[in-house]
Amino acid sequence: MLEAFIFATILSGFFGLVFKENLMMKIISMDVMSTGVIAYYVLISSRNGLFTPIFSDNTTNNYADPVPQAVILTAIVIGLSIQALMLVGVMKLAQNNPTLETKEIEKNNTPMKS
Amino acid sequence: MKALTIIWIALPLFIGFSIYLLPRIARYLALGVAIFSLGYALIIFNLTSTFEFKLLDNFGVILVIDNLSGFFILTNALVTLAVLFYCWQSDKTAFFYTQIIILHGSVNATFICADFISLYVALEVISIAAFLLIAYPRSDRSIWVALRYLFVSNTAMLFYLVGAVLVYQSHHSFSFVGLRGSPPEAMALIFLGLLAKGGIFVSGLWLPLTHSESETPVSAMLSGVVVKAGVYPLVRCALMVSEVDPIVRIFGATTSLLGVGYAVFEKDSKRMLAFHTVSQLGFILAAPEVGGFYALTHGLVKSSLFLIAGILPSRNLKELKHMAIDTPIWIALVMASFSISGFPLLSGFGAKVLTMKNLLPWQVIAMNIAALGTAISFAKFIFLPHARTGESHVKAGFWSAITLLLGGLIIANGIYYEAYSVNNIIKPLITIFLGWLAYHLFFQKAIIQLSRTAEEFNHLIGVMSLVLILLFWLFFGLGNGLQTTANSYLSFQILFHHIL
Repeated sequence: MLEAFIFATILSGFFGLVFKENLMMKIISMDVMSTGVIAYYVLISSRNGLFTPIFSDNTTNNYADPVPQAVILTAIVIGLSIQALMLVGVMKLAQNNPTLETKEIEKNNTPMKS
Repeated sequence: MKALTIIWIALPLFIGFSIYLLPRIARYLALGVAIFSLGYALIIFNLTSTFEFKLLDNFGVILVIDNLSGFFILTNALVTLAVLFYCWQSDKTAFFYTQIIILHGSVNATFICADFISLYVALEVISIAAFLLIAYPRSDRSIWVALRYLFVSNTAMLFYLVGAVLVYQSHHSFSFVGLRGSPPEAMALIFLGLLAKGGIFVSGLWLPLTHSESETPVSAMLSGVVVKAGVYPLVRCALMVSEVDPIVRIFGATTSLLGVGYAVFEKDSKRMLAFHTVSQLGFILAAPEVGGFYALTHGLVKSSLFLIAGILPSRNLKELKHMAIDTPIWIALVMASFSISGFPLLSGFGAKVLTMKNLLPWQVIAMNIAALGTAISFAKFIFLPHARTGESHVKAGFWSAITLLLGGLIIANGIYYEAYSVNNIIKPLITIFLGWLAYHLFFQKAIIQLSRTAEEFNHLIGVMSLVLILLFWLFFGLGNGLQTTANSYLSFQILFHHIL
C-alpha cells in the first residue's frame, strides 16, 4: 500500500516534469520526484522493523536497516545542492525571460536551423 | 597501492578547492593533478592482476582497478592535460580550473568504483561540475543549455537511485555483482540512468546540443571523457555479469547507427562531432571486453577534433568549403579524421580492428555500416580546401594540446600492433574508399535536414519513459529466457522507427 503511494509520488513528479510549462514548476516537480525516491529508501529500510539500530542490552530483532537511510542522506544533500544550483540558473534566466516558459526560453536559446 | 588509490581520489577534490584560495598558481596545481593521474594510470598498467578492495563492510565502498580502468583513467588524464594546455594562455579564472579539476577527479572516481552508491555520488558530482563549466560564459544560452543538461541527468539519476535500492533489497549490498539475481525492474532503472548519463541511444539525444553549444575546451572535455563516466559502468557490468552483456551489445550497435545516421546529414561541424560521440560510444559498448582501448583512442581523437573545430573560421561546413584553412591546422584535422575513420598508422585503426574482432555475428553488419558512415562524415573535413595563409592567430597552447593528443594516438598504436596484417589493413581502406565515394556522389550535395524535434527538452524527458518501458521489456525477456537476442533486436528496430 505504502509502496503504491510512493510510486504514485515519483510518477506524479515525473509527469509534472514533462507536462508543466513553467521552469519553476519543473524544478518543484523534480523535488516531488526526489521526495518519492527518498521515501522509498526509508520504506525499504523499515521492512524488518522500525526500531532505531542502537547497540544496547535488550536486543530486539526488528531493527530498521541503517544502510539505505545512511545512503539516502547523501542523495538528499546532493539533491539539495542541485536544486539550489538550478534555482540560481533560473534566477539568471528570469531577467530576460520573466514568464519562465520553457518553450519560449528554448526558442530563444537554441541555435536556428542552418 | 590502497593508500595510493585513496590519495589519488582525494587529491583532485582537495586541490580543486584550494585552487580557489591560490588563484595565482591555479594552472600549475591543475597541471600537477593531471600529471599525477597520468602516472597513476601507468602504474595500473604494470599491475599483473586485478586489484580489488572494500572499504568498510560488504555494504561499503567497493573499488576495482584493472587494465580496463587503466585505459579510461589514461584517457581522462591526457584529455585533461590537453585542455589545460589549451587554456594556458587564456584569461580563464581560478573558478574554471577548480571545476576542471573537480570534474577530472569525479570522472576518475567513476572509473574505479564497483558499487552503485559511490558511482551515484561520482556521477552527481560530475553533473554539478559539468553544469558550472557549461554555464561558465554566463550567457542566457549557456545557462539554458546547462540547466537542460542538469535536468536530464538528475531525472535519470533519480530513476537510477530507485534501481540501486532494489538491488540492495535483494542482496544487502550495492555491488555491481548484485545485478545478477536482481529483479528486472532494478536492472532497467539502473540502465536508464546510465544510458542517459552516458549519452547512449535515444536517451543520449541531449548530447548534441550540449556538446556543440559549450565552449571549445569544455566540449573537448565533455565529449572526450565525461560521457565515458556513464559508459564505463555499463562496460564493467557487462564484464562482471554475463547476463547483461547482450543488452549492452544491443545498445552499442543501435546507438552507433543512430549517431552516424544523424551525423552524415549534419552541416554544422560541432554538432557533427557531437553526433559522432554518440556513435563512437556505441563502438565502445559493442565489444565490452576491448572497450577500454577504443575509449582511449576515441577520447584522444574527439577532444583534438573539438579543439580544432573551435579555431576553424566557421562552424558551418558549407561556408568552410569556400574558405581556405591554414595548412598546419588542416593537417592536424586530417590526421584526427583519418584516425577516427580507422586508417592504418593511427591507433583508431587498431582499436577498430580489435573491436570488430570481438563482435558477435549479429552485430557485424550494423557496426560495418556505422564504420562506413564515420568515413562518409569525416570526408567532409578531409576534403576541405587548405592553403598556406601564414596568418597564424593560433596560440602555442593549442599546438601543444594537439601534439599531445595526436602523439598519443600514434604511440597508442603499440598497444595492439598485432592489428597490422594485410587482411586487417585492406578492410578499413575499402571502407574509407567507399565512404569517400558515397560522400562525393551523394552526401556532398544532400540537403536533407533531420528534424530536431527529438532534441527538445520536453521530449528528452518524455523519451526516458519510453526507454524505461523498452528496458523493462528487454530485461523481462532476459529473465524469462524466452526472448532470443535477434528477436529483441528486430523489435528494437521497429520501436526505433516509431520514435523517429
